[in-house]
Amino acid sequence: MPRYELALILKAMQRPETAAAVRRTVETLMERGAVVRNLENMGERLLPYKITKHNERHSRGTYFLVDFYCAPSILDGLLNHLHRDVDVVRPTVLKKEEQEPKSSGCGPS
Amino acid sequence: MWSLGTTVTLPAFTVVPELLPVLCQVKMLCVRGLQRLKAIFYLPRNTSHRSLTSAEVLPKDDALLKVENLSRESKKGCMLCNVTVDFKNIQLLSQFVSPHTGRIYGRHITGLCGKKQKEISKAIKKAHSLGFMPVTHKYPEFMKDPRICSIKHLD
Repeated sequence: MPRYELALILKAMQRPETAAAVRRTVETLMERGAVVRNLENMGERLLPYKITKHNERHSRGTYFLVDFYCAPSILDGLLNHLHRDVDVVRPTVLKKEEQEPKSSGCGPS
Repeated sequence: MWSLGTTVTLPAFTVVPELLPVLCQVKMLCVRGLQRLKAIFYLPRNTSHRSLTSAEVLPKDDALLKVENLSRESKKGCMLCNVTVDFKNIQLLSQFVSPHTGRIYGRHITGLCGKKQKEISKAIKKAHSLGFMPVTHKYPEFMKDPRICSIKHLD
C-alpha cells in the first residue's frame, strides 16, 4: 500500500479537546482501513498567516503529522470528512516519497 | 561646418563604432577575470583598426598570470549537496527567502545547483500551501540565522 502523510493543523484548544480531536481523526483513518504508522506532535504555534475556516479566523494552531498506509481510494472520502470537522483548520494529505539510500547529491555527473 | 555630401569628421573623444567590441572585451576581461581569454588577448592585433594607446589595451600583468584550475570549482557541489530538503524544515527553507518580502531567491543569489534549487523552491511552495511557512515575510525567530545567500541587506 502506498505511504501517505497527513499534515494536520488543529484549532488551538485545551489539551483534552485536542487529544479528543486527534483520537477522532486517527479512529476515522483506521475505520477506513488505513494503518497508522506514526503520529508526531509538532506543538502549538502561531500560524504563518491567519486562516479562516468554519466561519472562524484562526491565529494559533496545533500541528500534527500522521504517517499512514492506505489504499488510494479512501483518500477522497477522508479529506471530505476532515474538511467537515470543525476542529480541523487545514488537513493535507501528501504522498510520502520512498527515499533512495544513496542520495548522490549534486556533484558533477 | 555641415553641408550635404561631405563626410562627417568626428571629434577625437567619441567612441569609434568599429572599436566598440574591443573596448567591451577589455572591460569584460578586467572585471570578470576570465583567465582563458588570455590566449585570445595576446594574439597580434588587427592593424587595420586605429590603434588605442597601449595603456588602455593591455591589462596589468599580475591579473592574468595566476591561472586557476577551473575544473576544481565544479567538483565542490553546492552547499546542500548532502542535505535532504524537507517542507517541515522551515528554518532551512527560510534561509533562502527574503526577510523583507518573503520571496524565494534565485539561483544566482543562493548559489545552489539546479537540482537543489528546484527542491528548495518546491518545498517552500509546499510549506506555504500547507500552512507551515509564512508567505509574505519570514518568521522573526529565523531572522538571526546565518546568511548563506550572497545578497547584501541594508540593515
